[in-house]
Amino acid sequence: MSILSRVTVVSARGLVKTFGRGRAARRVLDGADLDVAAGEIVAVLGRSGSGKSTLLHLLGALDRPDGGTISVAGRRLERAGERALTDFRRRHVGFVFQFFHLVPELSGEENVLLPGRLLGGEAGAARRGRELVERLGLEEVAGALPHTLSGGEQQRFAIARALVNDPELVLADEPTGNLDAESGAVVLQLLREIAARDGRAVVLVTHDRDAAAIADRVLWMGGGRLDPERGSPPRALRVGAGAA
Amino acid sequence: MSNRPGAAYLTGALARLRVRRGRGLLAALGIVAAAAMLGAAVTVGYGLATGFERTAERADLPDVIARFDEERPARVDERVRALPNLEAVSLRLEIRDVPIGAGSRYTGDGVAQVVREGRRGYAIVEGRDLRPRGDEVVVESGLAREWSLEVGDRLEVGGLDGGARVVGVAVSPDNVAYPLAAGPRFYLSNEGLLARYGDPSGAGFGEPPVNSLLLWTRDPDRLEETLTQARAVSYGITDLRFITRSGVQVLIDQAAGIVVALLVAFSLVALTSAVLMLAASARADVERRLSTIGVMRAVGFSRRGVAVRHAGEAALVALPAATLGLAIGWLIAAGPSADLLGAINQLGPGLALLPLLGACLAGIVAVVCAATAWPAWRAAGRAPAETLRGAELRGRGSGAGRFSLRLPAPRGAFGLGVRIVAARRVRLTATAAVLAVATAVVLLMLALAALLERLAEDPGTLGKRYELTADASSTSAREVRALPGVESVSPRYAVEATDSFRLGENLQVIAFPGDHTRFEAPPLAEGRRLRSSAEAEIGVGLAQALGLGVGATLATQLPSGEETRFRVVGLVRALEKDGRVAYTRPRRLLAADPSIEPELAVRLEAGADRAVVERGLAAAGALPQVTGGASTSNRSFLALLATLLRAVALVNGLVCLYALVQSLSLTAIERRGTVATLRACGAGRAHVVLVLAGAAAVVVALAAPFGWALERFALAPAVAGLAADYAELPLGAGGGELALVGLGVVLVAGAATALVARRAAREPIVRGLREG
Repeated sequence: MSILSRVTVVSARGLVKTFGRGRAARRVLDGADLDVAAGEIVAVLGRSGSGKSTLLHLLGALDRPDGGTISVAGRRLERAGERALTDFRRRHVGFVFQFFHLVPELSGEENVLLPGRLLGGEAGAARRGRELVERLGLEEVAGALPHTLSGGEQQRFAIARALVNDPELVLADEPTGNLDAESGAVVLQLLREIAARDGRAVVLVTHDRDAAAIADRVLWMGGGRLDPERGSPPRALRVGAGAA
Repeated sequence: MSNRPGAAYLTGALARLRVRRGRGLLAALGIVAAAAMLGAAVTVGYGLATGFERTAERADLPDVIARFDEERPARVDERVRALPNLEAVSLRLEIRDVPIGAGSRYTGDGVAQVVREGRRGYAIVEGRDLRPRGDEVVVESGLAREWSLEVGDRLEVGGLDGGARVVGVAVSPDNVAYPLAAGPRFYLSNEGLLARYGDPSGAGFGEPPVNSLLLWTRDPDRLEETLTQARAVSYGITDLRFITRSGVQVLIDQAAGIVVALLVAFSLVALTSAVLMLAASARADVERRLSTIGVMRAVGFSRRGVAVRHAGEAALVALPAATLGLAIGWLIAAGPSADLLGAINQLGPGLALLPLLGACLAGIVAVVCAATAWPAWRAAGRAPAETLRGAELRGRGSGAGRFSLRLPAPRGAFGLGVRIVAARRVRLTATAAVLAVATAVVLLMLALAALLERLAEDPGTLGKRYELTADASSTSAREVRALPGVESVSPRYAVEATDSFRLGENLQVIAFPGDHTRFEAPPLAEGRRLRSSAEAEIGVGLAQALGLGVGATLATQLPSGEETRFRVVGLVRALEKDGRVAYTRPRRLLAADPSIEPELAVRLEAGADRAVVERGLAAAGALPQVTGGASTSNRSFLALLATLLRAVALVNGLVCLYALVQSLSLTAIERRGTVATLRACGAGRAHVVLVLAGAAAVVVALAAPFGWALERFALAPAVAGLAADYAELPLGAGGGELALVGLGVVLVAGAATALVARRAAREPIVRGLREG
């Protein structure tokens, strides 16, 4: 099945975001458009400060746009109230951060189960969390505290945490930026699986062209807009065509 | 870099403080709270502890005041001039029950002090002293305050045509002030009255008589010798009673009860608590800045430079904050403290307090600087890389790990808060300690206030087991016993006496026929109960003052001049009269002075209506009086003290709030990354509240029982011992106080949680993720 025929999970139009005021004001996003389908990985490349992470924050309802519209999993975010955005984050989106952001007092497994246990997520979250720990090969270190884990293990726990509430959209902000090449490759492979096997939409922000190579589409962030990166054929089309 | 010129250093430090304005403000608030507590404690404690001496000095209080039946001045003067060690003497005529009025105010209990040339023994605090005219009066400050009299007002005085003009307001600490004292005092000039009216007493001595004298000695250490000689040359002068300056102080202390001493003791507790809080706050601030210290070391700051820099920045925050806090504490306490001092005829410390407050300011700044510099010095002594890692909780994994492994997995946001705060053991301990001390002090203050009320209302607090007294002159014990509701009746003899060997030491001799413990039963501290009229149980306060023990002889001089001796068989913890009491049986007393009249102590049956019995006694002409506590007549004074105590408790409550807010704020600031991650995972404000509530609950759960135990087993016995080691003071907090404080702590924890959660939940998630 081609990704073009899949359900659109993310639809953003004309996104505008400005930081600062007056003469110090800087328009980071200036009419950015983005569509991401279920099962698709979109990689966003760009220079530092180009607005990649800002785009991710808007898509994940961590921040609000100054202009434009965002629809994720059929929910409009730009005018939603704080409570609705909180609920949206809980049910429809999972984050993977560069610095993992695991809670240091909780074991790896407890971190995975955190959204479900703390936030009263779905009843199946605990079972799913344990399945994820197994699937990601973390059973042996499930009870270890984050500071005793390698960077790769921490990031895999973070990915499991992002998936535990079964979100439609996974947002990964430089997920390999703090890892060695080997661990980074494992994490990228996981993200690939998340999209291809589970049918989730994944938006990957990275500096690393090699990391972007796993994406179905690669977009370039520049001048506040997203453009298809030239000379980089969408891998997923190839993979998708092959799969089909 | 630490050797930059001072101005540049100051500019840099101020700039750094501006950057972390919120944290600086938080630290400053802590210092303000502690300084306010200290300022209030110092204002109250210093004012009360030095009040008598200060006022006595200002008023030129004599070493001895003697009272006697009216005599010709020349006769008294002749005897007194022969005394050794005499520096000066002033004679006076005191006239009681003088009707006075001003505006709509009136009393028939005025006490006129007709003064002669010479030293006065009072201090003019407003207006001027008397001139030899018959139409001038100086009033005591209590009267001026109570009746709103000012210099220039007129005071109507019975017997003085047209009254007299108030020319001055005076303070003399030889008695408590009106209305604490039954009669308001005012001073008149003997020469003026003589010129205008002739003999004011009408006693017909040819010249106005005198009935009291003020005596100043050259060497107060030889006072006993002077008193013994005075007694020897006083033949012919009747009803002679001496009271020394130290005796006056004891009497005033009796009037003020034990509360003055309790407040002074509290000041010490508050001081300790304030220092603990300051140190904990400063240490927490440095802990927050460990990463900065690591960076400073990494870029070349010396260890000393780091410590000095931190101390300097701490001083910049501490100096204005401590000044503000001390001023607030002074403002809170100065009013009630001045009222309290005024009530016992003592002057406030005025500007004398300034050096002490200045010393407090220096002390607070020094404590904050030292408490900041010391951990900074220690942190700077570690390898920079280690310090940098230490700034993050995950870098100190062992501590977090040990705790996390011990605790069960969190069940919800509340449990996560518990684990987060438990991971910082040092801070948890410091915060819990501050909260526990503050809670204990609040409990102590409330227990004190409750004790004051019991002392005023409940005679049982003083070991009195009778509810009423009745005049024995118009009715008999048998008649009273026959009244319905009366369980038992006993004559009670009470005589004010002095020690025969130390005439300046006063005591009250109380005698019941038979077993006195059926009517008054102060706890026995040593020895046994008395068995005959030759024996006495004496209060521990008296035993301490006279150096007596079980087996010693108590020699007392009665007002009649007769001496009686008793063998001391027991020491009792009596609270009344500062423990300067002696219990005996009346036979020996009556043998020495048959004129001593008893009153009837009336015990009621359980459930009897006191009003009915009172009516029965009144019908029998027995003038019933309700048995009071220590200070039944001093309700307004006790209310004042209770207000003061509750104000102190309120300040301590605010300290609790601050300690919790600071702890939670630190947790929220340090764990903003965790909070932001939770919010990114879908946690709403309610979840943030729950996380912080869990953190607060741990602190409260540790502090509350520790605070209770501290009050019960350490503070209460210590304060009771400091205040009145001669008696048993029930200072342990009761169920009511515990419930109130428990509720208060929960409310404070709730308020702190809400305050911090509000701020944490409003922070943009993205910023929390970036900076956390």
